[in-house]
Amino acid sequence: MTTGTAPAPTASAAGWTPEPGPAGRAVTALAVRSVRRGAVLVTAVAAGMPALVAVQHRQLDQELAGASLAALGENPAIRTLFGPPVALDDPGGFTVWRTGTAIAVLVGVWAALAATRVTRGEEETGRWDLLLAGPSRLPAVLLRHLAVLLGASSLVGVATAAGLVLAGTATTGAVLFGALIGGTGMVGAALGALAAQLLAERRAAAGLAVGVLLAGLLARMVADGVPALGWLHWLSPFGLLGRSAPFAADRVLPLVVLAAAVAVLVAAAATVCARRDVGSGPWRRPGAVRPGARRLRSLPGLAARRTGRPVLGWGAAVVAYFLLIGLLATTMTDFLTENPRFAELAAQAGFAELGSVRGYVASLFTLLALPVGAFVASRVAATAADEVAGRLTLLYSLPVRRVRWLATELTGVAAGAVVLAGAAGLATWLGATWVGADLSAGAALAGVLNVLPVVAVCLGAAVAALAWAPAAVLPLGVLPAAGGYLLLVLADTLSWPGWVRGLSPFAHLAAVPAGPVDVPGLAGLLAVAAALIAGGLAGYRHRDLRG
Amino acid sequence: MPTSPTAVPALRAEHLSKRFSRTVAVDDLSLSVPPGEVFGFLGPNGAGKSTTIRMALGLLRPSGGHVEVFGVPAHDVGRAHRHLAYVPADVALWPALTGRECLDLLACVGPGTDLAYRAELLERFALDPDRRARTYSTGNRQKVALVAAFATRAPLLVLDEPTSGLDPLMEREFRRCVAEAAGRGQTVFLSSHQLAEVEAVCARVGILRQGRLVEVAGLPELRRLRRSEISVTLARPAAAGAGLSGVDGVADLRWSSPLELTMTLAGPPAPVLRALADLDVVALDVREPSLEELFLDFYGDTGGDHRSAGEEVWA
Repeated sequence: MTTGTAPAPTASAAGWTPEPGPAGRAVTALAVRSVRRGAVLVTAVAAGMPALVAVQHRQLDQELAGASLAALGENPAIRTLFGPPVALDDPGGFTVWRTGTAIAVLVGVWAALAATRVTRGEEETGRWDLLLAGPSRLPAVLLRHLAVLLGASSLVGVATAAGLVLAGTATTGAVLFGALIGGTGMVGAALGALAAQLLAERRAAAGLAVGVLLAGLLARMVADGVPALGWLHWLSPFGLLGRSAPFAADRVLPLVVLAAAVAVLVAAAATVCARRDVGSGPWRRPGAVRPGARRLRSLPGLAARRTGRPVLGWGAAVVAYFLLIGLLATTMTDFLTENPRFAELAAQAGFAELGSVRGYVASLFTLLALPVGAFVASRVAATAADEVAGRLTLLYSLPVRRVRWLATELTGVAAGAVVLAGAAGLATWLGATWVGADLSAGAALAGVLNVLPVVAVCLGAAVAALAWAPAAVLPLGVLPAAGGYLLLVLADTLSWPGWVRGLSPFAHLAAVPAGPVDVPGLAGLLAVAAALIAGGLAGYRHRDLRG
Repeated sequence: MPTSPTAVPALRAEHLSKRFSRTVAVDDLSLSVPPGEVFGFLGPNGAGKSTTIRMALGLLRPSGGHVEVFGVPAHDVGRAHRHLAYVPADVALWPALTGRECLDLLACVGPGTDLAYRAELLERFALDPDRRARTYSTGNRQKVALVAAFATRAPLLVLDEPTSGLDPLMEREFRRCVAEAAGRGQTVFLSSHQLAEVEAVCARVGILRQGRLVEVAGLPELRRLRRSEISVTLARPAAAGAGLSGVDGVADLRWSSPLELTMTLAGPPAPVLRALADLDVVALDVREPSLEELFLDFYGDTGGDHRSAGEEVWA
């Protein structure tokens, strides 16, 4: 303050008057900083993918015969897996059917994870204590973060619509689809914020929010497959997307329901937030435990303790999905035998040989690499987070070599991945057996074990990232599965050269149990994984520990 | 329990340095702590204390030089860590684990623990181990690490600001534990900001400044090198100057009244005592500098009111 300035009457000792404005703006700026990188990435995918598919549709639409379309609409399995196929002759309608669910899941899950991370995650580490020592109160800080996330979701929606309009689809449908995608992101964000108010741990809150979203996806699938349960659509953002039918019926009511759901969730989050203590939550597990209830005496014990709960969470989702896949085995194959045109289209979209039960499950088993790959990447990312938080410091002050602990942890993670894959195989077999499809347990297990080398490459990429790019373990670890799958689908549909296609790990997987195992392919994947893991372990051993 | 040859130093660093991109965190640090000694490691924030300790633990790799624990290179943690137990400055535990689970794990994987003594320590530090780490305060997490470290029979205890979260009662208990450890012949390497604590338990201190070790000495030695403060009261006013200003080692001569004077003295007191013999002295007080004053001396903060800072932690 210069000597010429007269002090304001309410000035504090420092000559500065606290106002809600600047402090609130600072909180908003912090929230923007925390979510912007992910938001840009998600926006790019949500805008780019549908636009690309819409452009690509021009080469396909004349091939879609009217009879095939009608059959598509009536088949419960198609409705269940891909969503209700409506207006497939329209580039927009085809795009919504082909990418709508995937984009909605991506945006919703991202928003839910980002919401729990920037709210409960920051609170858990104690960083919000500093924030709340200022003039801002807890509900205000929460709502500002939530507002930023809702804004980011709406931007994603705007970008999606803009991408489709630029690709030449009908404006009404594009805007409606963009609004539904943005709305799904808002539901995810509000759900994440509510879970973060109820549960005192970020991981638990993120699990709850994503679990509810995925339950919404299953509800959509059941509602599409079983007409009597069609009302379940109204409980799920993905169901509402189907009900709205952009480019076909263009209904607005589901969008209104979606907006109402966002409002209710935000209100619930604000209400719970206003009634709780900072650092706590109503669904908090008790801090005190019965003395001597559990023993922890070894590093493998610690690794098992850390992996067990996540395996249960991921396992529940994977089992539910693949049980449904098994239950649909016969409806799907009957339909495809009757509609060879669609089988061809599906083959172009990355689902070859859908015609037999074994071909059908083999195609869907390749999808298993995505959740299991994400599981292993997230566990290695948890190790990286432990390091930054200083939780490994005490452990590494014991006579424990870094490689020993990391190898112990990775063994637990690998075992968890095998358990997840096995559970998916058994669930598929159970479902298929229930409907009388011809699938033996051995064939199902062979099919799920066949995709584990892709998961191993994910694990290798995550470990290598832990050594050389520890801040990016999760994205780099997921890349071989998610990026590889996308690359394969794009390379197949856009006829990219063989070497580009060969960069995808999925290019080296045979369709097991439809055909024999591609032994050289699997050996190659495992060699890449082993090299990445060995290099990562060596790098991790030599680098400075963070935190 | 591993045996350790007494001839080799418990901790030895030679020309140790660490650079983080452009910053030099530790610069050519050489240090040797003999077995059985309680060594204080002092320095302001950012001086490189924790970096030095993290290199000694093999958590960071030195950019130059090397560091050994009982003759074992620090990077060979499988062997070196059989000889030590560590309390980090900022204790982080897995939130879902209970204090007891953390202690059990550290005991089962660590260099050997006296379980009876650990039970006693839990009582003395008033720590409830059957709570999840998530519910522990900073001080309680620190207690978990302290109990685990003091309960080991590791010949070297490395303590990095171990009492920053403890209340005065627990701090007293901590000092007792250090004394007991020293009594058992364990070496203690104590990095601290609490100068009174270092003064109470350490035999020798090393002072670190901007990554360089500026002084390593026993506390009495250190005091001898530095100024003591002398206040004198006279029965009647002395002649101007009283012949004191020219005496060897005397500085800051100040008359607060014609009968009272203070001065600081470096070196042996004989010359000043001879000069005082000619005056009519009724009271003479020689005060040795506290470690805090020594410490401030090292960092050039000689002005004014620092003595009123008491035992403040410098932030």
